[in-house]
Amino acid sequence: MKKYYVFVALIALTAPAVTLNAQGGRGGGGRGGAPVANVPAPTSPVTGNAASGKALYATYGCYACHGYNGETGARAFVGRWGNLATEQGFVTFLRGRANVAPLAPSTSMPSFSDTALSDKQAKDIYAYIRTFKSTAPELKDIPTLNAIVDAAKQEKK
Amino acid sequence: MAKSNKTSVGRRGFLRNAAAGAAAGAAALVTPPLVNAQAQNTGTAAPSPGAAGVPAPTQAQIDRETGNVRPPATVHTITRPGSDLMVQTIRELGIEYVAANPGSSFEGLQESFINYGNPPNRMPEFITALHEESAVTMAHGYAKAEGKPMLALLHGTIGIQHGAMSVYQAYYDRVPVLMIAGNDPDFIAAHTAHDMAGMVRSYTKWDAEPKTIDEALVAIQRAYNEAITPPMGPTLVVLGSEIQKDNAPNTKIPAYKPPVFVTIDATRAKEIAKSLVEAQNPRIAVGRLRTPEGVQRSVELAELVGASTSTAATGGPMSFPQRHHLCGPGADTTYDYTLGLETGGAQASITGPALSKTAATRDSVHIGFGGTVPGAGGRGGGGRGGRGGAAAAPPIEADAEASLPLIIEEVKRQLTSDQKARIQARIAKHTTANHEARLTAITQAVESKRAGWNGTPISTARIYAELWPLIMNEDWCLASPSNFSGGHHVQLWDHNKPYSYLGGQGAGGMGYGAPASVGAALAAKARNRIVVNVQTDGDLNYSPGVLWTAVHHKLPMLTVMHNNRAWHQEYMFVEYMAGVRGRGDDRAHIGSTLRDPYLDYAKMAAGYGMAGEGPITDPTKLSAALKRGVASAKRGEPYLIDVITQPR
Repeated sequence: MKKYYVFVALIALTAPAVTLNAQGGRGGGGRGGAPVANVPAPTSPVTGNAASGKALYATYGCYACHGYNGETGARAFVGRWGNLATEQGFVTFLRGRANVAPLAPSTSMPSFSDTALSDKQAKDIYAYIRTFKSTAPELKDIPTLNAIVDAAKQEKK
Repeated sequence: MAKSNKTSVGRRGFLRNAAAGAAAGAAALVTPPLVNAQAQNTGTAAPSPGAAGVPAPTQAQIDRETGNVRPPATVHTITRPGSDLMVQTIRELGIEYVAANPGSSFEGLQESFINYGNPPNRMPEFITALHEESAVTMAHGYAKAEGKPMLALLHGTIGIQHGAMSVYQAYYDRVPVLMIAGNDPDFIAAHTAHDMAGMVRSYTKWDAEPKTIDEALVAIQRAYNEAITPPMGPTLVVLGSEIQKDNAPNTKIPAYKPPVFVTIDATRAKEIAKSLVEAQNPRIAVGRLRTPEGVQRSVELAELVGASTSTAATGGPMSFPQRHHLCGPGADTTYDYTLGLETGGAQASITGPALSKTAATRDSVHIGFGGTVPGAGGRGGGGRGGRGGAAAAPPIEADAEASLPLIIEEVKRQLTSDQKARIQARIAKHTTANHEARLTAITQAVESKRAGWNGTPISTARIYAELWPLIMNEDWCLASPSNFSGGHHVQLWDHNKPYSYLGGQGAGGMGYGAPASVGAALAAKARNRIVVNVQTDGDLNYSPGVLWTAVHHKLPMLTVMHNNRAWHQEYMFVEYMAGVRGRGDDRAHIGSTLRDPYLDYAKMAAGYGMAGEGPITDPTKLSAALKRGVASAKRGEPYLIDVITQPR
């Protein structure tokens, strides 16, 4: 398990997590889950075509780990833009992933060579994900979640 | 089990005699003297020969010919079939249900299950399964919810092999499942074998193929005991069709003797009790116990000594109540003594034996997947908050649950009034600290669940969040694994019952969620409980027939589809593999997604007679649908809601 945690720490924000055996040893505190981050979307230039990028986002399975809106799943990025701050940084990041197959299956961020995904396609994807915005309402506007907290407060002390 | 050399006047012997009689009867047509001889043997007066040398008709024959008597009624020569005794034995073990897909090799047993006794078809009730894999996994889910086995009935070689995957999964999950397989060597050759149990022996804990009714009754009792004795696991008794049907007018059911559980000895119990009583800040780490009674005992011990506890209740059944006031890190996380109950890593850890150890003593091939090690796969772990104290000692190999009464009695004997007062003060501090920790955790949790709240497809967090207010005041059981669905219940829900969450599949085999939930719903049916099944789509397609079983038996089960239209874990694996090979991910969907066409699970449910709705894509419509679903499940009308979700 130690190896797993170190690995997860290294791949940080944009790689999907291994969840196959994630139930092992979990105690009452439950799973983590970072609070919704509110880092503003980058304002760096975008040169790609967002409409084309939308199709590529689906075709290349980006949604698999980042959610259809970039705000759910193991590696949500809306509000935590990190490596996605600039178009060039994004393309460099895509190219720089591992190219050695591990012995064990992995759900880490795949590498995208320029033969598999051109610079133009990568920039189109970038243009699309830059359109993502958080759909998370303020907590006060979600009665269900407030009811859960209220119920916890009423638990016997 | 030793094979018997006994012989019995069984069905086969009866048939041989009948065949001989029939042959004699045929011969009588041409050899009258034999008829006379037979008549003499049976004490019937022989008619005098007629003029042509043909015997004169008897008075009985004349009466029949002239219509003076009715044809003789069918004579039931089997007054007490062996299968009745088998069913009675199973009844006396307290087995509530038997799940089966019908098969000729157990027709005798099936007839007894449904007709024997008053009332018939109760204890156990016959549950109609559409596949043996479903039948065994129903028993798997039932046992995890109740802490005791139900029965799965399998038909010959083909039924055993249909059920094999589920047997393997139950074995890996250390879950007691009682199985009986019928064997009819006289009917279809392909459905019989010299060693039927051999097909699953590598992953059953114990098996037997008794040759007499007497042996069969003993074997059923022993199979039950072997299943519930740590390390628990599935057991199999193969029962020939002949002994199911043989008459057994004088056979008595042997007195049942419960198994003996291995406990710690009195000296060790005193030591542990002394350490708990004298510790300034003791800790108890509770893993997966065997039964609800064990859970109760763990609570009793924690309260007696004022120990903060960790739990595995969010990872599986039969652990310490998650929201108990002593569950949590407590007021001080520097523990000077830690007791592990079915967990490792403590100063004193009481853990039952692993199945691998048992398997090594068997006269069979062990397939060597490592067995199940206590503490692995969600059964152990330090649990919620806090750190252990001093270095851990090697585990004491004994059953923690059976050892608890010894420790409790010792604690009660040793506790002084001063210590009791100190413990009460410690409990008060722990209670306050754990409640504050709980509020901090839930506040952080709901903050994280906001992500994607209004997004489409619907977030898995929203499913669990919307469900909780609807069931929090019900008696509920989450029977489906949540490892592919985000596990959001871990943070949001309160796992306070031994059956609150039944945990993972065991061996990671798909086709588990729905049948395990049906099994849990069988347990829930008579207990005013509802079962929630957050069902991954890929998993459902292995055994969708259980939806019909749930409807047919009026089970209180709500199924909410986590429909991401893929075997999503595999999809991600293939994506990574394509990436490292530089080939792109645009074809990774091949073989790992469920598209073209999409499946309509509400229609699937309707086909099986289950009420439902969907597909739901608008998150604002989710809560109302869930309300309808919970209400329906409470009425004993299982319900399915197809929700198109985010992948995870």
